[in-house]
Amino acid sequence: MSGQGQVSFRNIVKMHGEFAALKGVNFDIKPGEFFALLGPSGSGKSTTLRILAGLDAPTAGRVLIDDKDVTSTNARDRDIAMVFQSYALYPHMTVAENIAFPLEMAKLPKAEITPAVKDAARKVKIDHLLDRKPGQLSGGQQQRCALARAIVRKARLFLLDEPLSNLDAKLRLETRAELKKLQRSLGVTAVYVTHDQEEAMTLADRMAVFMSGEIQQVGTPAEVFARPNSIDIAGFIGNPPMNLVPARYVDGDVIIAGHRLKTTATTRGERDVVVGLRPGALRMAVGGLGARVDLIEDLGDTAVLDLDCAGTMIRMRVADGNIPGEGDTISITARPQDIHLFDPATRMRL
Amino acid sequence: MTTTAVTSAGIASEAPRSDFGRVLAQRERRFAAALLAPAFLALLATTTFPLLFLVYTSAFRMDLAMPFTNGFVGYENYQVLLSDERFWTSLLVSLVYTGSTVALQVIIGLALALLVMDLKRGQGWFRVIAILPVVLSPAVVGMIWRTFMLAPEFGIVDFLAINAGLGSKNWLGDPTLAMVSVIAIHTWQWTPFAFMVLLASLASLPEDIYEAARLDRASAWQRFRRITLPLLRPAIVMVIIMRTMVALTAFAAIFTVTAGGPGTATEILNLYAYRKSFTELSIGYGSALAVALLVVTIIISGILFAIRRAK
Repeated sequence: MSGQGQVSFRNIVKMHGEFAALKGVNFDIKPGEFFALLGPSGSGKSTTLRILAGLDAPTAGRVLIDDKDVTSTNARDRDIAMVFQSYALYPHMTVAENIAFPLEMAKLPKAEITPAVKDAARKVKIDHLLDRKPGQLSGGQQQRCALARAIVRKARLFLLDEPLSNLDAKLRLETRAELKKLQRSLGVTAVYVTHDQEEAMTLADRMAVFMSGEIQQVGTPAEVFARPNSIDIAGFIGNPPMNLVPARYVDGDVIIAGHRLKTTATTRGERDVVVGLRPGALRMAVGGLGARVDLIEDLGDTAVLDLDCAGTMIRMRVADGNIPGEGDTISITARPQDIHLFDPATRMRL
Repeated sequence: MTTTAVTSAGIASEAPRSDFGRVLAQRERRFAAALLAPAFLALLATTTFPLLFLVYTSAFRMDLAMPFTNGFVGYENYQVLLSDERFWTSLLVSLVYTGSTVALQVIIGLALALLVMDLKRGQGWFRVIAILPVVLSPAVVGMIWRTFMLAPEFGIVDFLAINAGLGSKNWLGDPTLAMVSVIAIHTWQWTPFAFMVLLASLASLPEDIYEAARLDRASAWQRFRRITLPLLRPAIVMVIIMRTMVALTAFAAIFTVTAGGPGTATEILNLYAYRKSFTELSIGYGSALAVALLVVTIIISGILFAIRRAK
């Protein structure tokens, strides 16, 4: 019953009337992979997940699961389990009945259902709540019940639509770690939709970054973080995100607010660029770019400084014990390999 | 000395506050009672008093055709009632009428609601059209059916029956057909009510649990049986309760269409009580019949509410 869980999207287009929710999406997910669909709201990531689940049909393109074209296959015949953002628990059934439901629909004998339900409940630590109704559970418990209902079936694909977004911050961190362990122990392919780049970075083996109906980059979190493909991704990934500063490129150097910084680029010539600088990659050094400290956000072990460099706002992360005072003027610089260059016209990486 | 001082001081500071609270609560209670009184008195005068008077009347022989026999008879009317075959027949007719109209309303109403839920367009129109029979007076509905629909040769129903090869039927003259007709009329008028309540209830069900059920591989029938029906249960039970109350005490539509006839074929208990009291002018016995109807209604609604409370 359980296959491999390999997924391919081929030129998927989804139109809502005149509006293109997806403009030709292509990606491949390997079996056993934890794959995140990351993007701001309205970027098409949830639509992609719903098309994969079979809840929505694409306007054009093909969906392949384990090399089989499932574009027009019914949701119930795709062997996919899903955790909804709202959890979508059946309100009139107990936790045990909720978890048992997919097994009953698969016409499993009762003798097999009961132990399977207990096992799934134990894996997500709600085996003491089996007799409760969803209305009697906390948000976190409901979320676990939804998880148990999804894992009990041992489907080949495991879809999660922002499963942590309705939890409070502490619970979200705990559940995040457990989710990763659970997916590893089950060895199942997981597709995870989130708008939270930190969740995608920590959970995913690979991720696809969506921007207004298109995938702008697919890669491991480290790759996407280290070499964002576009200005939009650069401004989306990282907390705080990358500083994006208009500058002038001259023979391998960039000039920001009258100050010259070396880059790894070797092209000769002169042009306008957008320079990307990670807040954590900036260093304080003598003879660098002069900047006045406008505001300090102390996070305990680190602090984020809002700097004013001759009218340009730049954010910088510094380690504790190295924090200047507000109103001080400091001098900052960055190593050539930490300077990202983007084309202001195409918004793509140079 | 010190302890007493402390305690008395404690009481002293406590006492006025609780006194103040009590006075305030008392004042609020009085104000609430004053607000409640007019409605309460009106209810007493229009429902409780007539009911009690009905029970009181049922203990008398009060025959306007033979006033010289009038007088207190205790529970004699009820003894007569228990051995009155026409009472039992009318009770049976009432139960058949109520059971079949309520069942039809719920089944047809639910089917229509499920159908309309799936309509992408025209839901609003459907609702407007559906509400029309409900806003008509039952007496008007009865007249419409008797003249336009069921009249021999010219009525729409009879016209259709003739064209379908069934031949002209005496819809209101044949005992069985008359019963079928009054059931159809009541169902026609009140199914929209069930339809609208169930449609509203259906519309309030979350979309995502149906998507979850689809991914859990439930077929359309399983989704209906395992999810829709249990979630609609409170609404369905509520519709059954409300419609049962009304059907048990139906009057105008039957009165205008068949007046209980032919013979006593469509004479529900309510009509029998009316005929006894105001046609045969036997007010005392008529009151006893009305009290019997009240008891039946209370028993049935008690059972229905018990079902509603049960899981």
